[in-house]
Amino acid sequence: MSVAPTSSDDTSPAVEVSAVVKNYGKVEALKGIDLSVGRGEMFALLGPNGAGKTTLFSILATLRAPTSGTARVLGHDVVRSRDAVRREMGIVFQEPAIEQRLSGRDNLMLMGLLYGLSMSAARKRASEILGQLGIAEFAARDARTLSGGQRRKLELARALVTDPKILFLDEATLGLDVDARRTFWAQVRGLAESGRTVFFTTHYMEEAEVADRIALIDSGRIVALGTPQELKARVGGGIVRMKTQDDTKARAWLAEHGHVAEAGGTSITIVHADPAAILPELLRNLPVRVDRVEVHAPSLEDVFLKLTGRGLEGANKP
Amino acid sequence: MMRGIFAIVVLDLKRFWLDRARLVAGLIQPLLYLFVLGAGIGASSKMGGGDYRRFIYPGTMGLSLLFSATFAAITIVFDRQIGFFKAVLVAPVPRPAIAIGKIAAGALQSLAQGLLLLPFAPLAGASLNVVQTIEMIGAMALAATTFSTIGVAFACRFNSTTVFPIISNAVLLPMFFLSGGLYPLAMAPGWMKVAAHFNPVAYAVDLMRGSVLGVFFFPVPLSLGALALTIALLVWAAVRVFNRGEDDSSLGAAKFNFRR
Repeated sequence: MSVAPTSSDDTSPAVEVSAVVKNYGKVEALKGIDLSVGRGEMFALLGPNGAGKTTLFSILATLRAPTSGTARVLGHDVVRSRDAVRREMGIVFQEPAIEQRLSGRDNLMLMGLLYGLSMSAARKRASEILGQLGIAEFAARDARTLSGGQRRKLELARALVTDPKILFLDEATLGLDVDARRTFWAQVRGLAESGRTVFFTTHYMEEAEVADRIALIDSGRIVALGTPQELKARVGGGIVRMKTQDDTKARAWLAEHGHVAEAGGTSITIVHADPAAILPELLRNLPVRVDRVEVHAPSLEDVFLKLTGRGLEGANKP
Repeated sequence: MMRGIFAIVVLDLKRFWLDRARLVAGLIQPLLYLFVLGAGIGASSKMGGGDYRRFIYPGTMGLSLLFSATFAAITIVFDRQIGFFKAVLVAPVPRPAIAIGKIAAGALQSLAQGLLLLPFAPLAGASLNVVQTIEMIGAMALAATTFSTIGVAFACRFNSTTVFPIISNAVLLPMFFLSGGLYPLAMAPGWMKVAAHFNPVAYAVDLMRGSVLGVFFFPVPLSLGALALTIALLVWAAVRVFNRGEDDSSLGAAKFNFRR
């Protein structure tokens, strides 16, 4: 974990959420969220679509107010001190927030103006940040001529125009291919290394793995929180996953012989401290034919499955 | 605050410049009214073709300003759909500055459209001297500001562009037809005269017509007062929508539905 350059007078956490509830009419989108993100931390909010990620994100981004509870960003309340929060954060949204028909430089320049920079300072800053991200060649090109991945980089540059202390990204790589996603996250990781706090939401588990800590969110609740290693340790030593001719029969046999198969999932998942040791016995004695079997270290998907009994929909491996 | 307004105006004018072809397209409608409808109706009216064209020239100017100002306001709805507006909303810009910036930018765009129509005045038989031209441009600026305020006050309450054709037919056209833009209010039926007193477009057209013909239907102070009041009320209404605290991202638009 990288350490943020903290100013002596300000040591409050980068993000502090306590007992946040958000209702849309009768729908409870968030059912009491508590979490704290340290300065300089790279923090992921991982969960399936509809889990409440974007709602929590919008509250932190000052776009929605919580029904109850409080949220603070860098010590500022997101409802009462909206402008203070807004001055210190940069945001990349799911949906494009650049004007397609304007050049990269003009897009960034306009954003600088909104943050109170003068015309010339905004223009200078635009070139600077494009240079820093290694995309100086986007300056003169219309945004619409850029590829999907390039546009996302421009969005990142837009969010960084005012040199924010904290960067928020909401499903920032939606619709990008694997390569583009990888380069995008390498870039964000670099920003986190240089001391910025990064808070991002995703439903791709391999994206969440680049974070220092991950909060798993499901149906408006945080179901687990920790480093990727800590979360995986909750699952235990390893996983045996198998597909048999008759999963129901296999599950019954397993239960009878003292093996605990996780509920749910489209295949049988057994968590064990030493999966390789039990495998021969299982294969020898199972009363149904085994079509496929694999042994692997637990992934975040397994953690999610163990905690919620459901997979991360859409979080398929690339 | 001023910086915020400035930023919003620059943003909108920069994008307006990309659409400058629209300025030319925007000339078609007023010119049709002026030279086609004007020629046809003029020939059959007591005023005669030439006088009638001169008479309706300020009316078509009003039409042009009204529609271009309202169209500029639609950008609010478009922006909301592409997420561009979100980036504006999370910037530390006071909400009233966004409303006022949008209104100012719309007024400038509308005025630009109007200035393009100004050189057609002599063709319509309305040759203007220097004083008249200055009066006319002043009246146009006031009209453009009023119409832009109307546009923004409406647009910020909607989150879908599909309602705009309805607004345009159900609100803008009646306002224009009742403004006396195409006929003298003095000779109109009583109910139309009454309606005109509650129609900002009528005051705006009357001011512009006064600068061209030298004859006013409303007393000038009344027109100026009515337009100032309209602007003040609608700026207040727009700022209130933009200021809504809870669920800022919708700008209150999501709260608008036909049940209320």
